Amino acid sequence: MKNILKAVLAGAMLATAMGGTAAMAKGKTIAVSWKTFQEERWKGDEATIKAAVEAAGDKYISADAQGSAQKQAADIEGLIAQKPDVIMVVAFDSDAILPSIKKISDAGIKSIAYDVQFEDPNALYITFDNVGVGRIMAKEILKAKPEGNYAFIKGDKGDPNATFLFQGQMEVLKAAMDAGKIKNVCETFTDGWKPDNAQKNMEQCLTSTKNKVDAVLSENDGMASGVVAALKAQGLAGQVPVSGQDGDLAAINRVALGTQTVSVWKDTAQLGKAAADAAVAMAEGTAIDKLPGVAKFNGGKKKVEMNSILLAPTPITKANIGDAIKAGHITKDQACAGVKDGVDACK
Amino acid sequence: MSIPSASSQNPALDNEGAVKRFFRATEIDTRMLGMIAALVLIWCIFDVWSGLHLHNNLVGEWFQGVISGSDGLLGGTFLTPRNIWTLLVQTSSIAVMASGMVLLIVMRQLDLSVGSMLSLVAVASGVLQVYQLGPSLGVGHPAIWLLAIALCLVLGTGIGAVNGTLTAYAKIPAFIVTLGGLIAYKGIAFYLASGETVAPMDQRFEVFGGGVQQSWLGPFWSWMLGLLVCAGIIFAIVNGRRQRRRFNFPLRPVWAEVFLGLMGSAIVLGLTNVMNSYPWPYNLIANYAKDHNVTIPPGVENRDGNAICMAGDQIVHCTNGLIYYTGYSLPVLVALGVGIVMSFIAARTSFGRYIYATGGNPEAAELSGINTKWLTVKVFALMGLLVGISSVISSARLNAATNALGASNELYVIAATVIGGTSLAGGVGTIYGAMLGALVMQSIISGMSLLNLPAAYQDIVVGGVLVLAVWLDQIYSRRVK
Amino acid sequence: MAKSVKKSPVKKPVARKAAKPAVIETHESPAVVKGAEPHAPTKANGTPLVEMKDISIAFGGIKAVDHASIDLYPGEVVGLLGHNGAGKSTLIKILSGAYKRDHGQIFVNGQEVTIANPRDAKAQGIETIYQTLALADNVDAAANLYLGRELKTPLGTLDDVAMEAETRKVMHRLNPNFRRFKEPVSKLSGGQRQSVAIARAIHFNARILIMDEPTAALGPQETAQVGELIKQLKAEGLGIFLISHDLHDVFDLSDRLVVMKNGKVVGTARTSDVTHDDVLGMIIAGKCPKGAIPGPGAMKQVA
Repeated sequence: MKNILKAVLAGAMLATAMGGTAAMAKGKTIAVSWKTFQEERWKGDEATIKAAVEAAGDKYISADAQGSAQKQAADIEGLIAQKPDVIMVVAFDSDAILPSIKKISDAGIKSIAYDVQFEDPNALYITFDNVGVGRIMAKEILKAKPEGNYAFIKGDKGDPNATFLFQGQMEVLKAAMDAGKIKNVCETFTDGWKPDNAQKNMEQCLTSTKNKVDAVLSENDGMASGVVAALKAQGLAGQVPVSGQDGDLAAINRVALGTQTVSVWKDTAQLGKAAADAAVAMAEGTAIDKLPGVAKFNGGKKKVEMNSILLAPTPITKANIGDAIKAGHITKDQACAGVKDGVDACK
Repeated sequence: MSIPSASSQNPALDNEGAVKRFFRATEIDTRMLGMIAALVLIWCIFDVWSGLHLHNNLVGEWFQGVISGSDGLLGGTFLTPRNIWTLLVQTSSIAVMASGMVLLIVMRQLDLSVGSMLSLVAVASGVLQVYQLGPSLGVGHPAIWLLAIALCLVLGTGIGAVNGTLTAYAKIPAFIVTLGGLIAYKGIAFYLASGETVAPMDQRFEVFGGGVQQSWLGPFWSWMLGLLVCAGIIFAIVNGRRQRRRFNFPLRPVWAEVFLGLMGSAIVLGLTNVMNSYPWPYNLIANYAKDHNVTIPPGVENRDGNAICMAGDQIVHCTNGLIYYTGYSLPVLVALGVGIVMSFIAARTSFGRYIYATGGNPEAAELSGINTKWLTVKVFALMGLLVGISSVISSARLNAATNALGASNELYVIAATVIGGTSLAGGVGTIYGAMLGALVMQSIISGMSLLNLPAAYQDIVVGGVLVLAVWLDQIYSRRVK
Repeated sequence: MAKSVKKSPVKKPVARKAAKPAVIETHESPAVVKGAEPHAPTKANGTPLVEMKDISIAFGGIKAVDHASIDLYPGEVVGLLGHNGAGKSTLIKILSGAYKRDHGQIFVNGQEVTIANPRDAKAQGIETIYQTLALADNVDAAANLYLGRELKTPLGTLDDVAMEAETRKVMHRLNPNFRRFKEPVSKLSGGQRQSVAIARAIHFNARILIMDEPTAALGPQETAQVGELIKQLKAEGLGIFLISHDLHDVFDLSDRLVVMKNGKVVGTARTSDVTHDDVLGMIIAGKCPKGAIPGPGAMKQVA
């Protein structure tokens, strides 16, 4: 009984796969190997890419590695077998993926590293400028508080992005720090990027400095919520500038309320669109280095030089909250909940 | 039938040393004493260390700081009212959950899902407050916080009961049931809010986090509460003595009773005094004065002062001036209340007695006619209720609910319980031990954070302390036997 | 124990509180039983205290007890003998509610009763002292004594002082040297633990006492003490099932013997009608001697 069921299922799957292959005959085909759909955002990315590829008259195929490097290797072999023109890869493990990337180029297919870098000189790397996110945070905070005691609430110690962000911040702040205008009074990593850990770290920072903290560079919005809660308990919320990133709805609301200064927003729809456009162009034969916006990038672990498209993220501040509302990222009610005055977009 | 008096009960006792006699007479748990000693040691180390840190490792300046008394007890930032106050608030959520975990572990069960359960409950109540009730009733409606808290308690209890039912009646090992829960509840928490951080919480709900001035009891009521607890301690001692006299039992020596009463009261009043020495943050005093038309006295500016005064038309920090003190904060009171109630349940109700008996010998308990399956469900449900309380505290404190809240809390809760002397073999463990264990752990984390030491060091030290605590406990148990 | 017990109809056991001390005071020493001549082992007329009829239970196809019937009269000690695995412990666990029988009936005082769990058995006045002692090692004597039926204060909380007081009284009667009331029972000696287990069984209005190897863990002196206690309880009108390996013990204490083999009853005999060798023959070969009433498990040619 069970075996019959299995046979039927296998047959059905085979039929689906064949159908996919048959339809591939005309137009170009863009394949994507996703690392996981466990995190909400990737579904959004997929919708954008699929829409953009199909709008260009091409075919979209994909595979979900379900958070496994092994499955991703098998996925890519399966995708190669379907003879697409471009394979876009969101690598689960940026080192373990390299043999699969080699197979892609051996098969004469072009590859794109989407959001997560793998270091292959023939591939296109497309992502947001993470060091740039750090720079934008620091610029916005520096604008609000050109001198004083700065606290740095960094992300998880195991995540390279935490260090990239800090690098970017330091590039901007270095001059002021060397001049003695800005003092680094607290600097801590935050286990798992967790808001409650960030809150505890901020509380300890305020205790050790006796509240002499003038600005806080928090590396994301979740942690910023912890930082703001800690500041609020000391009556400092709204007086001490706080940074963040991700464009969290609650963070945009904090920006409107004035308790957070900036949330750097990486609009993944923008990233997906850019990647899809690049893929379509590559499928039609455009050389990678001739794509619009391409630059050389060698900031990876092994310093391999790659062609890359680095998108600039958008800082959301009090001044441009209206844009996020207009883009449909957040409703006016959500952004402006509890806001009394002083924000144009909430009027 | 005559009952011999305590001293002649065993002639050998007359020959024992003064220290031993003291502990026997006062019936103080020496294991707990060891833990308190460890806690005090940790606190002192951190205070000295942070003091040296504060004075750029110049011993002379640090020593002057100690003498002047302007900093912590030992010249640092750790043993200051502010840090102790914060430390207790930071500990309260884990401590509440640890008090339930003790009973589970005593009963030879385990709940690995508490962290994920906390996320789920917090996110559910956040979604209810911010996305459902806020828009429909109007933000700040007084029913919101009541409904949100009710949801936390009911949902927590319900999930706990599910864990318990699967363990007791479906006979799936608790480790597996709650490991599944650890993974699944996290998923539901993510799903409920699509991974978004839900914020801000209702204003009245936020009071339970201890971060706003409405959640501070203030010195007067803190003293009243402290005195009430002292009266309770004295009543308990007198009542216990009367009970034992009623049945002609051997009594503790009077000096031991007096010592216990004084010691207990001294600890309560000392803690109250520390809580009452933490002043409101500067800005809050200023805002309060402005909102309530309190006249700010004139004075001389002192950047390190905790009061505020007027220097000309400027509000400044100063030593003498307008000042308010916080007293106990609500989450700490909730945690202490939970500790008292849970200790009472463990020691003075048949429910608690059955839990310990079942942990000591499950077969014997079953043969004595105890319905151990239903008991298991009840204990898991109680654990869930406590997770519900903790979720109120932590989401109110963060003023936001996210699925990251509570992640890996199960490890801290179990670690606190074990550091507090609960045996994983079952049958042995105390509520106060587990809560002290939580305090020890949080002290290490907060202290290292105060010193700006990297988070990796905190993990290493906490992990080491866990193993060390169990090792010392085993040595102690072997020597006592 | 009060004489009234054996007459009382089925009722929930209630711990005797204030009324009890008066009774206990008369038993200063366990060795002397005042005003009670040990009953002559009569096959009493009237209804048996317990009757188990045609009981069967199987575990995974193996018949642990196979159509066994036994009975017990007030003031009687019935010894239950047999090899390991003969089914005696299993049969008795059905009576104490630890196992649920597949087949058969149980009568208490002539009335059929349902015993589905240990609570049901206790409600019938059936108390058990298990071979494995069944004490919660981590709590003290009083907590064990009252486990499952704690004394409460009017507020519903545990009345530990009252429980300790009662425990002191009952323990004084069983073991006058016992003083370690505040310590977990894991710290007590085997004999002390056994006295706690026995105290627990007899303290509540027990009418039927099941003792599964009560002396297995004890030294000679403590064994003798338990023997005295059994005589005393018997004099008070309790019915006792005694399961033991030790033939001497059984001959000393029992009025009747029931021998089991392979889950079946070999035979029943008055202790006075059979010799040690007869009984060994029953245990080893299933041979039923004269003077014994053969059961379904007896060797056919002899029966």
